Amino acid sequence: MSATERRQPALTSSRWSISRGLVTVGIAVIALFVVSALFAPSSVSQGAVLGMLPFAAVLSCVGLGQMLVVQQGGIDLSIPGAVSLSIVVVSRIPNGDDSLLVPAVLLAVGLAVLAGILNGLLIGRLGLNAIIATLGTNALLFAVVLGISGGSPTTTTRLLRDVAGGLSFGIPNSVFFALAAFLLVTVLVKKTVAGRRFEAVGANPVAARATGLRVRTHQAAAYVWAQLLYCLAGILLAGITAQPTAFQGNAYLIPAVAVVVLGGTSLLGGRGFPLATVVAAVFLSQLDQFVLAAGVPFAVRSIIQAAALAVGVALYTIDWAGLRARLGSRQRVGAAA
Amino acid sequence: MAIRKRIALTAASIGVLALALTACSSGAPSSNDTVTTGAPVAGAPDWCGPNEITLGLLDGFGGNSWRKVTTAAGADEVAKCPSVTGYEYADGQGDTQKSIADIQGMVAKGVNALVVFPDAGEAMLPALRSAYQAGVVTVPYRVNPGGEDGVDYDAWIGADFTTDGENWGTWIKTNFPDGAKILFLSGPKGNSQGEDELDGMNSVLGDGGEYEFIGETPFEPTNWDPAVTQQVLTSAIAKNPEIDVIVSDFGPSLVGALPEFTKSGRSIPALVASDGNVLGCFWKDNQEANPDFKMMTVATGNDNVRLAVQYAVAKATGGVLPDTTTFDAPVFEDSVSGTPNPVECEADLPGDIFLSAEMSPQDQADLLK
Repeated sequence: MSATERRQPALTSSRWSISRGLVTVGIAVIALFVVSALFAPSSVSQGAVLGMLPFAAVLSCVGLGQMLVVQQGGIDLSIPGAVSLSIVVVSRIPNGDDSLLVPAVLLAVGLAVLAGILNGLLIGRLGLNAIIATLGTNALLFAVVLGISGGSPTTTTRLLRDVAGGLSFGIPNSVFFALAAFLLVTVLVKKTVAGRRFEAVGANPVAARATGLRVRTHQAAAYVWAQLLYCLAGILLAGITAQPTAFQGNAYLIPAVAVVVLGGTSLLGGRGFPLATVVAAVFLSQLDQFVLAAGVPFAVRSIIQAAALAVGVALYTIDWAGLRARLGSRQRVGAAA
Repeated sequence: MAIRKRIALTAASIGVLALALTACSSGAPSSNDTVTTGAPVAGAPDWCGPNEITLGLLDGFGGNSWRKVTTAAGADEVAKCPSVTGYEYADGQGDTQKSIADIQGMVAKGVNALVVFPDAGEAMLPALRSAYQAGVVTVPYRVNPGGEDGVDYDAWIGADFTTDGENWGTWIKTNFPDGAKILFLSGPKGNSQGEDELDGMNSVLGDGGEYEFIGETPFEPTNWDPAVTQQVLTSAIAKNPEIDVIVSDFGPSLVGALPEFTKSGRSIPALVASDGNVLGCFWKDNQEANPDFKMMTVATGNDNVRLAVQYAVAKATGGVLPDTTTFDAPVFEDSVSGTPNPVECEADLPGDIFLSAEMSPQDQADLLK
């Protein structure tokens, strides 16, 4: 029920309002780390956490992108193609030559902008259904992936491996990139005029149009920003895995939607919660690490991950108060009869 | 409207007729009983008989560097026999239906011999059987499609992954005579390749208890995905203070993951795997800083296709059949004994070429450009 609500319940007693999403995923992350420490202590060891953080960083970037699109009531299914494309561009084009890395990154950014504009035009301007349009773009992006790579993976350059996969001050570099992306998104959306308009358009396009905001431009812009974030995620992932496949982005479609939903952003648009989204990315990544460390069979791993998602989504989408009231009244009726 | 419908109908029936005709005509020139073993063609290998044929090479999924090298190796082998007058290639692109249609299309075109990589496994069996029954020499290779030699197809030229496992086991036993803790990484859960490899290793290492497999049995699933491999390895490093040997049937996917050991302040342990240029170069770059990092690889098996081509060509042209239908991947590199080869690295060439393949490294590099 509350997923259809545009009004977001929040704790507003302090100067900084804390969203219900942040409270929920915050508690969930803390609980997960406590459970990890108790049942699979190795999953919270320094090495394991350092191994988990780069993947959390990549997922954060992808999640933030998806969040911007979801804020506008859309959804972006072109993530696999977008992430794979930037991976292929930054590893195939230089083909081991460090000096070509910067031009390759620029090319990846350029292609991301183009893909974003395409999505934006199809959905923001022409009013196509977001699911259909972004699926089509995804296929197009994979065509480019295959065109560049022939589907064959290659090794990333040493420079990219050091920059994206290395450590600074004992922290994986990718975390700093994700942090920068998070700060940028937060400041732009929450602290600039354009950002406030962007959020207003997402909350209620009709009212926004009535007040004279450029609704379609804002909606289209969401897809461009999102592509830039996917591009960053792809570049990081290429460096982290060192020998990425040409289809590495495929694993990020569902988790990207999951972190947005777990972070409390409504799939119908409206307010976005960048911090909660990032925390949700840490949650899902640590959950992966926990089930691996717990040594449960592969099949059970998938079930645990799915269950965590279902519980997370249920927290927001089920009208618990209504359910309680209905169950309560039924019991009363039962007692009377 | 009626006229248009009639035209369409006529066109369709002509098409069907044409298809039927080509299908019939294909049966005639080729058949399974062309055993007129004549004198081998001069200057050609003895598996190349005198009867002229056309041959089709079919891939279930052609989209990675290993497949590209393999396909080129197949074409190269075909080129050695002048009796093969026509050569065709089709890529199923990971789509089972397209792979089946490719087989049917080639049969309809009148190809005399088919060499098929049946990625979809048993789903490919009916198509293979119908090609075989249509009189085309049908040779599936590498992946087991089920069925029987001489009933559903001429012969399955399989890779014996048990041999890989035995080779790995033998090396582990030689270098860790007092036992070891072994982490075995393979592809998707339940893939038969990983299970065969484990059988091979177990047959050498025995159940004396000195050799312990850590992690999930029969193997830790990684889907052969570098990102998953990295997560699995990170977790295993944190969980197990002692890992003596890592076994992987996709060596190159470990390149991003192995530095996790260094990050945890431990030496990279011994590694037994399948080969890849990137892995050899990684070993060269890291072996000094990691005293425990010994490495042994088996050939990744690009040349499996050569044996399949030889068999198919011999059968169709009336040449001498190879004496085996199983491809045993040989041991390729051993950093400890240096035999048959020390670890090799072509730093100037792409990481995703396979130095174990018969094709020259430079040719492979050109192929992948």
